[in-house]
Amino acid sequence: MSAPLLELCGLRKSFGERILLDIDRLAIEQGGAYVLVGANGCGKTTLMRIIAGLEPAQRGSMEFRGERSTQPWYPEHLRREIVYVHQHPYLFHTSLRHNLEYGLKCRALAPDERARRVEEALEWAGLRDRAATPPARLSGGEKQRAALARARALAPELLLLDEPTSNLDREGRAQTLALLAQLRDGRRTVIVACHDQEVINLVGYARLRLEDGGIALQSG
Amino acid sequence: MDLLEPTRRAFALLLAGDPRLLEAIWLSLWVSVAAIALVALPSVSLGFLLAKKRFPGRRAAVVLVQALLSFPTVVIGLILYLLLSRRGPFGSFGLLFTPTAIMIGYMVIAFPILVVFTISAVQGADPRVYETARALGAGRLRASLTTLWEVRFGILAAVVNGFGRAISEVGMAIMVGGNIEGLTRNIPTAIALETTKGEFAQGIALGLVLMVVALGVNVLLAVLQGAGGLR
Repeated sequence: MSAPLLELCGLRKSFGERILLDIDRLAIEQGGAYVLVGANGCGKTTLMRIIAGLEPAQRGSMEFRGERSTQPWYPEHLRREIVYVHQHPYLFHTSLRHNLEYGLKCRALAPDERARRVEEALEWAGLRDRAATPPARLSGGEKQRAALARARALAPELLLLDEPTSNLDREGRAQTLALLAQLRDGRRTVIVACHDQEVINLVGYARLRLEDGGIALQSG
Repeated sequence: MDLLEPTRRAFALLLAGDPRLLEAIWLSLWVSVAAIALVALPSVSLGFLLAKKRFPGRRAAVVLVQALLSFPTVVIGLILYLLLSRRGPFGSFGLLFTPTAIMIGYMVIAFPILVVFTISAVQGADPRVYETARALGAGRLRASLTTLWEVRFGILAAVVNGFGRAISEVGMAIMVGGNIEGLTRNIPTAIALETTKGEFAQGIALGLVLMVVALGVNVLLAVLQGAGGLR
């Protein structure tokens, strides 16, 4: 059996007296697709943010592709390989195309490669005709798809999606669900935190349950 | 008092391109623009740090900068005068009664305005801006610049306010500039002098220019906000 893509050991995160996360071990396999479920406030978002390096844990270690780091330190280069999409994604006040290009510029990709990836991501998300549109003029569903496309264009090793179908109307939800189904391709590793039963039931997504600070893999 | 006649003469002076007027206008513009250009980067950077970073003494620093906003400019003029005068610690530079002295004064006056406006703009930014930039792989510097870009109209407003405050400053400019014709006489100091001499036409002409500059800069800001009205 190959080594996991991501392994968390002895991770603890508390707020004052309250211990939110106390995870002995969590292994995420390369190319796996996971749905992270649990009650409101159980720490799903916090766990994803720790993995993405957006907030530190008090203790614990993280091993990503064999590289070990100890909290609260987070290797800066992992931000290029692990991408987190916020529950309410923020799109910069520029065109959709520039939003998609942002992370690619951070990775110093050549202009041709950037353009190719942006076009591909726009096509994937069905937003090609909205490329020049500022985010303020996009619908909620389009914003969510834009955020997914922006993250996908970066081709990260691990994609973390926080409640991607929340606050969407029926149509936006259906379109986002279709994109989530496509994201599971056996190469990309995806973790989706959500309450949405349709996402939880997506074919091929294993279920991680977060409860009382601990985490358990429920089904494959 | 008859206002019509001096106003008519004021327009005549402007249309004729009176050299004394043009000298004062040119000095006001270049010294103000140079001062803002020099002070913008450090003050916007400091404003960003005070808005985003938590460190010991941060609160005291914010209070100090806010206090500087209401500091009498004539006192700033006095302190600068003492520092730059021949017996002062910087007297050897020979800066007193030069445009450079006025420029330094403008920078001191504009500094807290730019810092406080920047703090306000950055704190008013959506907290997801910085985090989104980081989550997409931006380093700290790039994420900070992205945040500033997202609140660019707030920063522009800071620059415009700083410029407006500088170009209209009179007390400090007289103290450290000396109001020397052809060297340090600018729009507000010339207005003050010509008015005391009863030369209202000169004062009105320069006042009109000052108002046009202020209006023009604010119209430009509004146009830029409109052109970038992506919100």
